[in-house]
Amino acid sequence: MNKDTGFKRYLKIDLLPTPWCPGCGNGIVLKTICQAFDELNLPKNGTVVVSGIGCAGRSAGFFDLDSVHTAHGRAIPVAEGIKYANDALNVVVVSGDGDLLGIGGNHLLHAIRRNTNITVICYANEIYGMTGGQVSPTTPHGTKTLTTPNGNQDQPANVQSLFKHHNCYYARTTAYHLNHMKKCITEALKFNGFSFVEARTMCIVNYGRRLGYKNSNEMLLHYKEFYKVNDNATELAQNEIGIIKSAS
Amino acid sequence: MPKQLLQGNQAIAMAAEVAGLKFFAGYPITPASEIIHEMVNKKHIKVLQMEDEIASLNAVIGASLAGLKAMTATSGPGFSLMQESIGLAHMMEVPLVIVNVQRVGPSTGMPTLPAQGDVIQCIHGSHGDYFPIVFYPNSVFELYKFTVNAFNAAEESMSPVILLSDGYISHLYETIIPHRDFDIKKRDRQPLGAGNRHFTGLSHEDSLPKTSDIDNYRRLITRLHEKQQLTAQRYNDYEYIECSKDTDTLLISYGALSRIAYHFKDTFSLYRPIRMFPVVEEIKIIAPRYKRIIIMEMNTGQYAHEIERILHREVEFIPILGGRIDLVEINQKLLGVNHDRRP
Repeated sequence: MNKDTGFKRYLKIDLLPTPWCPGCGNGIVLKTICQAFDELNLPKNGTVVVSGIGCAGRSAGFFDLDSVHTAHGRAIPVAEGIKYANDALNVVVVSGDGDLLGIGGNHLLHAIRRNTNITVICYANEIYGMTGGQVSPTTPHGTKTLTTPNGNQDQPANVQSLFKHHNCYYARTTAYHLNHMKKCITEALKFNGFSFVEARTMCIVNYGRRLGYKNSNEMLLHYKEFYKVNDNATELAQNEIGIIKSAS
Repeated sequence: MPKQLLQGNQAIAMAAEVAGLKFFAGYPITPASEIIHEMVNKKHIKVLQMEDEIASLNAVIGASLAGLKAMTATSGPGFSLMQESIGLAHMMEVPLVIVNVQRVGPSTGMPTLPAQGDVIQCIHGSHGDYFPIVFYPNSVFELYKFTVNAFNAAEESMSPVILLSDGYISHLYETIIPHRDFDIKKRDRQPLGAGNRHFTGLSHEDSLPKTSDIDNYRRLITRLHEKQQLTAQRYNDYEYIECSKDTDTLLISYGALSRIAYHFKDTFSLYRPIRMFPVVEEIKIIAPRYKRIIIMEMNTGQYAHEIERILHREVEFIPILGGRIDLVEINQKLLGVNHDRRP
């Protein structure tokens, strides 16, 4: 493949491999983001990637674009500062569910309210992976993790509900549904306003392994069986993936 | 240029515009709110009221990386919230200005009363080692002048510069001539969207994270330290008033409290640091001339410890706590004289 065309032009190929564990789903999301960039032919000068802290946060450094690796949870306000400073830039946030919904949850709430024209791609792996496997904002109820040895007592974050009554874009997709993910991200990038893609991705080493999955492929197959595509919904059921463009 | 009657916080906002400010993000807090009130009325400055001080500073970091001169203004509680991102801005080398209008703490404290309790927080509030440049003026004109200097120092050092104020001088009205006779420094670095650079809070070299290269980390910290020292040398600002009479005592104070120290200029020699950090080296030359050194500050000895460390000698210390600056009380504490009437 030509270095100047195709999705690889958005990556610092020389830096590979990524620091992620074998079987991690983050690489799938990273590649799909680049494919979406490629489909829209986003200019490399004029696109900025911002990330927070965690496994997913390390994505930013692999883009062959100007990128900012911020403090934990602060990717969204940094991205908003960039966007309001220079409206001509495409600003894309890539980070994990712990970063965006946990420590940085307040910023998400207000970015939605401000409807800042940026795209946020959340690698939702249901766990704090980098720190060893603690319960995260998307961990399902009842799931055992290092910090919930008797099963998670809390409900996972219902992210789509934050977007109700706002003119924003929300999509849920998974690392199994590659074409769907690409579509979700492409549409999000095209959306004029705040857009958020919750990309379900697997962490085998610090999560799936402890839940009885033998390898990450089994986790992918779980996504295949569990999630049904519903792109015309106004609200997604727990087992549905799809796009919601809210209108108030 | 005509004279203008300005409040301290107004002077900060006015000077920021002169220095080339284009982006302001902040969160309401007493006694700093007037700064954002002023900003929203300025035509060429983008203003965001964010959800908290953490978001404010991070938006400022983003805007600065995107090429704009940017600042935020807050008071102690907000400054505490900003600490993690201050470390980030030092690590990523992001020029910006943070104004901290101090009030009585800790915690919510006494929001409308002045204090000087954030002095050490300026240099040690974030985790790890970093070497910020900190200015602390004591008049409305100085707030004006050092706001511009803070922006210039930020561009020269490519780092966050802190402008300390307090509830007293920020709310003080004085007549000043807001001249524009400054050499305004421009940004050397290309704004975001012009390459494939990676700005990270991780230890790094040339855009590449290096999380276990110890020698590289040591080189990085040394370089950041030297860079700050080098820039600071251009702003050796302090005020030294030698007593007209024979005295063996040097009275050190700064900010709001130093204004009352002028009252004692015929009794003691006076020294006032304006560039608080890195500590101005001249104190090492001035101090040996005096047998006694008294430090008076509105905290329990934050700068006194710093001065003791620099001079390797003990100093006498007078804490003025709770936001009250009262000449009768200070007279008594300094001279042991009990005046029963206000001068």
